[in-house]
Formats: sequence, structure tokens, C-alpha cells
Amino acid sequence: MVKVKMFGVARLKTGVSEFEADVHTMDELKNSVPGMTKNEVKDLVILVNGKAVSRWYRFNDGDEVVMLSPAGGG
Amino acid sequence: MATQYGGYMGKVLKIDLTTKEVSEYPFSDRERELFIGSKTMAAKILGDHLKGTEKAFSTENLLVVTTGPLTGTGAPSASRFNISTVSPQTGYITSSNCGGHFGYYLKKAGLDALILTGQCEEKTWIEIQNDSVKFHNADDLWGMKTTRTQETLDDKLRMKNGRVRKNGKICIGPAGENLVLYSSIVSNDRVSGRGGTGAVMGWMRLKAVCVSGTKEIPIYDKDKMIAHTKKWFKYLRKHPLTGDQLPRLGTAGLVSSMQMRGMLSTKNYSRGQYEDFEKVSGEVLAEKYNIVNKGCLTCPIRCARTVEIDGRPVKGPELETLVLLGGGILNNDLEAVLKWNYELDELGMDTISAANTLSYAMEANEKGLWDNGLKFSEIEGISKIFEDIAYRRGIGNELAEGSKRLSEKYGGKEFAIHAKGMELAAYEPRKAVGLGLGYAVSNRGGCHLNGGYLVILEGLGLSINQTTYHGKADLTMMFQDLMEMISASGQCLFTSYAFFPAPLLKHPNSWYVKLVNGVLPYCGAVVRLMNKYPEMLKLHLPVFHHTKGFEYATGMKMTFGHYMRCGERGYNLEREINRRFGVNANKDALPSRLVKTLQDPKDPTSKVPLEKLKKVYYHARGWDSHGLPTKKLLKKLEII
Repeated sequence: MVKVKMFGVARLKTGVSEFEADVHTMDELKNSVPGMTKNEVKDLVILVNGKAVSRWYRFNDGDEVVMLSPAGGG
Repeated sequence: MATQYGGYMGKVLKIDLTTKEVSEYPFSDRERELFIGSKTMAAKILGDHLKGTEKAFSTENLLVVTTGPLTGTGAPSASRFNISTVSPQTGYITSSNCGGHFGYYLKKAGLDALILTGQCEEKTWIEIQNDSVKFHNADDLWGMKTTRTQETLDDKLRMKNGRVRKNGKICIGPAGENLVLYSSIVSNDRVSGRGGTGAVMGWMRLKAVCVSGTKEIPIYDKDKMIAHTKKWFKYLRKHPLTGDQLPRLGTAGLVSSMQMRGMLSTKNYSRGQYEDFEKVSGEVLAEKYNIVNKGCLTCPIRCARTVEIDGRPVKGPELETLVLLGGGILNNDLEAVLKWNYELDELGMDTISAANTLSYAMEANEKGLWDNGLKFSEIEGISKIFEDIAYRRGIGNELAEGSKRLSEKYGGKEFAIHAKGMELAAYEPRKAVGLGLGYAVSNRGGCHLNGGYLVILEGLGLSINQTTYHGKADLTMMFQDLMEMISASGQCLFTSYAFFPAPLLKHPNSWYVKLVNGVLPYCGAVVRLMNKYPEMLKLHLPVFHHTKGFEYATGMKMTFGHYMRCGERGYNLEREINRRFGVNANKDALPSRLVKTLQDPKDPTSKVPLEKLKKVYYHARGWDSHGLPTKKLLKKLEII
């Protein structure tokens, strides 16, 4: 089970701030985000335990995932 | 002095507050071609007057309020005006840019710029309507906070039919009156915040300026401008940053990205992450507190937040305020930040410098250097502290001097987070070293925007290596010059995001974005070539609508290369003026916490390699080893 936190535009669009998912691969994770299609999730920055990981990463129980979109401001 | 160019009103007014003499200041078309408008025009005017011995609080100083040629023309986000002066914080020149609608009304009154000098004999406010300038006694306004000041002025401008004459205002609050070094100038609910311009106005005994008029802002090719502007608006509305992220989350939306990248200034910049960041994030602000988005004149982005304080809708906090009064002082109470943000605007004080001065004082107390009673995460009484600063009461009188001067008195220079005397913005530069360079070399002191805003590449928009020094100096120069010119033309810097084609931001995991992220730091030589010979770029970039818009509005020939050269001229002009005041490589410094102490003890790259970056930067700019523009360069840029 991994804990997923959503930030940025994706969070406001879906209204989901966090959820738990029983997933093992990135593909499974991308299919499990409430209110978003796999293609939409593909365009989010995904960090696992604070770090960028490859698309072949296999999740461990207790991993913390953050999803956010590129941003700018000043 | 009339002009052949569109976008300009052709008149600069100079008011000597001591003698009440009003005169037209000559500014030729050749000067418009070279120095464009806004901050660069102001630098030209200041440069023609200042020798380098003038103090901020003296009759030799000038407060120069300028617009750009695009201000009020209907171009997107083109509401901006600029205020430049000798800063009481840095002792060098500062420029502070503001939205709202004052710039538009200044032009409706027939003016491109307003030069104020001298000191009023009595407390004064000035009314400018078309060609008339009236001086009014401001005894009744003195002491008022900024909203009440502006409401009272509206009452004074009420016409016989009971309606308020449409006008733009700038005013100061109690902080400016009492010469708090980081006082702001407020215009409606927008703020010219940085550098202490409000204190200069306060020293001049000038409470407010109201402008109104009926003149038409000329546009060189109206039909083409209208058609181009439509496309431009559409582009910005479709862009992922200006059309989605900024309208939805405002600048506050960056908090979570900064946290993830380790660049969220926390506990007076001692770390780059705050465990409670989510409670004081843009997401929570948007979900729980934002009533409605607000935008400046002709702005499609509408990034401003509106929140409710005591049943009244008021401006919400920007990113800087949220971070520095949140994690910066270990405060996780967002409602407190909303309230302080409002109070600081009402008192007329820069939220960035106020917050950083407070966090310096908390750390000085924690380290036993200064027994002042202020503690991290203890937020009770902070409203009173801000009031005390504005009225210079008790400990507030000391805090009103800012962190640089306090560290000279109490010690702790290594954690007084300023550059050239002005406190840094909210990005912790040890995980964004390009911005670290920008903070250090910025003409107005610790500013992220004047510093080139390289964080947009270092983890926020794109994700190039945050701590490498490769390529950062050349990219910093490029973005500084680009933003200098956007400012000079009278537009908001957020329009600069258009420079990044939308796919780069929409698809961060695509192969081409990964390629850009990997390769960009090693393209320094290419970027340098573009910086050195911008004239080669005799074209309009399809993603960058600014150059064509400039041409249609003004009638001046403008290519992307020429645009960049104008920005470079502006940046060097400010540097040249600062040279007269003693700026050199030694002054391009950061506190030792940021250049000597690792943010992450396990990561030897997590500090700003400032000397290395400066060396490359000076070389890229064509400056000498002392960090100063050479005569040859100044001649080439037609500055001398």
C-alpha cells in the first residue's frame, strides 16, 4: 500500500488531496488516480519518498508518493 | 517633448516639492529608442542626476514614477508602472514595479513619467488632472492606513454629481511616514513593495498622489495591435502557467513545488523544507480561503487572491509572504498569515523584508545575541510587533532598520539574509544556485526577479540540475535582460512564461523535456553567443508575442535580438549608476549561511558556489574582474 499526495493544479481539478493505493508499478499507479485518466497522470511530476524515480520503479509497502505539476510564479 | 512614437504620451513632468515648481522634463525620441520606458527610463533619468554621493533621505534624491510604452494600450498584463529612487535600504538605486491602474491613469493625464524631488514644507498630497497640478495639505490624512487614505481621497475627488472621478492613486501608510526602511507605496490594493520607496515618499512629506485625465493613449497601428492582442490573450490563456496554474493557485501555488525541491525557505533559511508546509500552502489557500481571483487592468492571468478579513474582502498573500511568514518563522497558521499580510499592506510595509527581519530577530534571540522576546513558532503578538515597527515604538524602532543593520549591531551576519541590504525572497538558494547568483548580483539587492528568476528552470517549471554551476551564469544574464525589457515596456513579468513553449511545461516526463533538462546547463556557450550577439536574432519568436506587440503599439522596429539588447542596456545602466555609489564585486555577496554551510550535510553541492558563478557571470556580461561594466561596453550600449 502506498500513500499518494496530490498538489498543484491536479489537486484542484480532481478535488483529491490524498489517497492510498495498492499498487506495485508506475503503470498501476497511473491508472489509480481518482478523477484522472492515465494520460493525464502521465503529465504530472511524480516523486517517491521525495525523489524522482524511473518508470520501472517497483513500489514498496509504505512508500510516499507526491504528484504535482510544473509551476511558475514570482 | 512630443514624440513620433505610439504608446507614449510624450511628456515627463518634474515637480520640485520644496519650491512647488512644476516643469516639463525633456526626454527625446532617441532616449525612448534606447531606454524604452518604466524602470529603464527611470534609470536614465536617475543616471543623469546622480553622482553617487546622494542619500535616500535628501533633497538630492529623486522619486521617479514611470510607465512603459505598452502601459494602458490593452496589451496583456500591461498595467504596470515603476518607482525608482535611491533606496534607504541599500543606498543604491532601487526599482519597484506595481500593477493596478495608476499607470493607466498617469497616461490618461498625459504623462509618461513623474519626477518628484525636494521635500514638502508641510504634509502634502498632490492632485494631477490632465495638465493641472494641485498641492493639498495632508494633515488630515497623515497617520491613516492605506485603505482609509485612499477612501478619504476618493471622497475628496467626489464631483458635484456625487460620483468619484475615475483616478489612480499611490499613497504611503504609517510605515512610510515614520521612515521604516522597507516601507512600501500602495496603489489600490497593489503594492510597490521592495526597496523602501515608501520611506523616501514619507521623507518627502508626500502622503499621496492622485492622477486622472481624459487623454487618449496613442497606438501606432491600432488594427494590427488589436488583432495581435487577441492572439496574445488566447496564447496566455492556453499556456499551462498563465492560463491554468496561476489563475487557479496564484503565486502561492509554488509552495508545494518549492518544498519538494528543497528550496522552501524555512526557519530563517536554515533549511529548505518545512514539515507543516501543506497547512500554509497555495492549495489550502485556494480550497478554503480564496473568494475570487482578481487581476490588474487588461490581465488575462488574474493571479491575485481575495480573502476575507473581518467580513471584508481583501487581497490575499503572495507566495513570498506565505512562505516567509509561514515556514520562515515556523508558523503553520494560514489564517494568521492572511491577517498579517493585510495588516502589512495597511501599514505600508514590504512583507518580504518585514518577515525576514522578524526571522533574523527570532534567530538572534535563540542564539542569545539579542534578548528581544521573539521566538520561532510563537506567533502571538506579531500583529503588535508590525504596528510597533510602523510607528517605530519600542523594539519596533529597531526592527524598522532591517536585518542588515540589526546584524551589524547585534551580530549574526551569517544569518541576516540579505543582499546589498535588501532581504531575499522566499526561495532558498542552496537548492537553486542560479538564483543564488541572481540574488547576489541583482541591482536592487536580494531580489528573485531582478536576479533572473532561474528557479523557473531549477525545479519549478523545468528541472535542470539545481546545484550545478554549469550554464547558470549565462542563463541568468539572458533572463535578467529579458525581464528587464518586459518591465521597461510596461508589462507584467508573468507574461515572460510565454517564452517557454507550452509542451515543455505540459509534458515534464516526455523524452524531449528530459533532454532539455539534461542538456541546458551545458549550453552555456550557445546562450553566451546569443547574449553577446543578440542582433543575430533578427526575428519574432512565435511563442514570444512581445516584440510584435511592441512594434504595433509604438512604431519602433523591434526584433527579439533588439529586445534583448534593450534589456541588456537597462541592466548595465543600473549597474553603472550603482558603480558610482560604490557597488563592485565585493558587494555582490550573500550571507555565509548560504555560501559556506551545506543545506544538506550529505550533499556537498548544496551551497551556492558564488565566487565561481560570479566569475563566469562577469565574463559573460563583459564586465571587468571587479564586476563593473567596462567603458567599451557602456559605449557599445550607448549608455555613455
